Amino acid sequence: MHELNWGLPVIAYLFLAGVGAGAVTVSGSVLLRKGGFGASRFAVARCGALIGPLPVMLGTFLIVFELGQPFRALNLFKLINLSPMSIGSWLLGVFIVLSLLYALTYLPPSAGPGDRLSPIRRGLAWVCVPFGIGVALYTGVMLGAMPARPFWNSPILAALFVLSALSSGVACIILLGVFFRRKSSDPTIRADYENSSYMLVTSDAMLLGGELLVVFLFLMFGHLTIGDVRYAMAAILPGGQLAGMFWGLVVLIGLLIPFFIELFQVVPKLIYGREFRTVVALEVAVPIAILIGGFALRYVIVIAGQITAPSAL
Amino acid sequence: MNDKNNKGTSRRGFVQKLVGGVAVASAAVTTSVLSSPETASESVKGKTKSYGMLIDTRKCIGCHTCSVACKAEFDVPLGVTRSWVEYTEKGVYPNVSRHFLPRLCNHCRHPQCVDVCPTGATYKRKQDGIVVVDSGLCIGCKYCVQACPYDARFLNPVTGVADKCDFCIHRVSKGLVPSCVNSCIGGARIFGDISDPTSEISRMLATNPTTVLRPGKGTEPNVYYIGADHSDEHENNRGWYDVRVITHRTPEERR
Repeated sequence: MHELNWGLPVIAYLFLAGVGAGAVTVSGSVLLRKGGFGASRFAVARCGALIGPLPVMLGTFLIVFELGQPFRALNLFKLINLSPMSIGSWLLGVFIVLSLLYALTYLPPSAGPGDRLSPIRRGLAWVCVPFGIGVALYTGVMLGAMPARPFWNSPILAALFVLSALSSGVACIILLGVFFRRKSSDPTIRADYENSSYMLVTSDAMLLGGELLVVFLFLMFGHLTIGDVRYAMAAILPGGQLAGMFWGLVVLIGLLIPFFIELFQVVPKLIYGREFRTVVALEVAVPIAILIGGFALRYVIVIAGQITAPSAL
Repeated sequence: MNDKNNKGTSRRGFVQKLVGGVAVASAAVTTSVLSSPETASESVKGKTKSYGMLIDTRKCIGCHTCSVACKAEFDVPLGVTRSWVEYTEKGVYPNVSRHFLPRLCNHCRHPQCVDVCPTGATYKRKQDGIVVVDSGLCIGCKYCVQACPYDARFLNPVTGVADKCDFCIHRVSKGLVPSCVNSCIGGARIFGDISDPTSEISRMLATNPTTVLRPGKGTEPNVYYIGADHSDEHENNRGWYDVRVITHRTPEERR
């Protein structure tokens, strides 16, 4: 067995940072956008903003303690260089602060659309969105930067991580909505909730579709090339060590099933203008499947990169 | 100890120190007075070295003396190695062979480990091209361990920071050769300044067919081999013969 220098703490970090950065990015985008979400815009943005910083901080805690000497991590902030990890550390540090401030603006009991904090909240949303994308993106660049790891050495990995982060972020917001926003007897709030669910599920279906496309390109690239990458890609192709997990958990449970369920949910309204109805069971099951898929994706990629190597000495 | 003391290197080193001490205050005029014109001009230009190693695998008997000398020199903890010897066995009886491949950090011209280091702890020394780790800056993130195509790096289990071969910088800076070169009983290792056309290694490189490991990775290694067998276990699905690589390390597989 090959040595796994980056194990579960790193995998968990990649997943948690992706979920958190995705949730904050989606929250910021929803808050800033006009129309679509209508009156529920603030409530949706609030869900993402309040949950986002927690997984990011938990993940950061995990990698800092994975070092063995946590205080050494401060050395990262003595300089900035072109290493993806250096840029990523700064992005992550700034993002944690910004996303916490952004979350704080939602905490006062008086918080609502157009309140006193509104300009600050919008300003923070404007910076949280690019930093959130940066945090989700750098992890893929970090893995992709090394020719010594042919499985990772692909520019499309970063795109895959960003799409996965955003869709996990949306999944997180949908899941929170079920628990905190669904219960309401007021018909206007119910209608708003249904509308925001439709918007979220549509965006999530689009993100999952994009992710499927990127996974397809990733595999095709591996299949059509020869040499190192092809040998490496064999780890997730049928017969490979991680094939079961990749095709079962990542592709089937994490991408295909949620994608088609969401498609069947939104197509009637999207194309035929029929009414969109939320189903509690699906609202809980689909996001959980997406989150499982997101974790499995990081797991498969991080492990596959380390058990494969360049093919010729 | 049977150290091969490289006289040229040590004299130049001495002159450089001398010059360095004086040149703090003044420049070329002073130095040309204090030392011979030839060495002075070299020093003034700040001539940099580029250390490299040439391993003649035809002379290697796979005895691991280099590995042991390295372990002793640095007190390298159990389970990790800065320098090691791989055995490549291939063929099907009766057509079989075994080759030895001594391995160490390649001190590449384009070291990937340096590119990815987030703290600048790993850098390539300008004066001699040796790739070193500043253990005070290293945070032990293992990014460099991932990025090295030669698996030459590891996390030192005692210090918790990245570690690797440094061409015995403490010996080389005093004009000695690295410990593995000094101890090699077959005389398979030649160490020297590749940028100096008169050095033994430069002459050997110019007059022999040599190879480097994983040239396709674009790292441009400074460790060269004569007669190295580049066979790898990946070839097993390719031909009639079997290849088995014994790394004598943990993990046992070559990566």
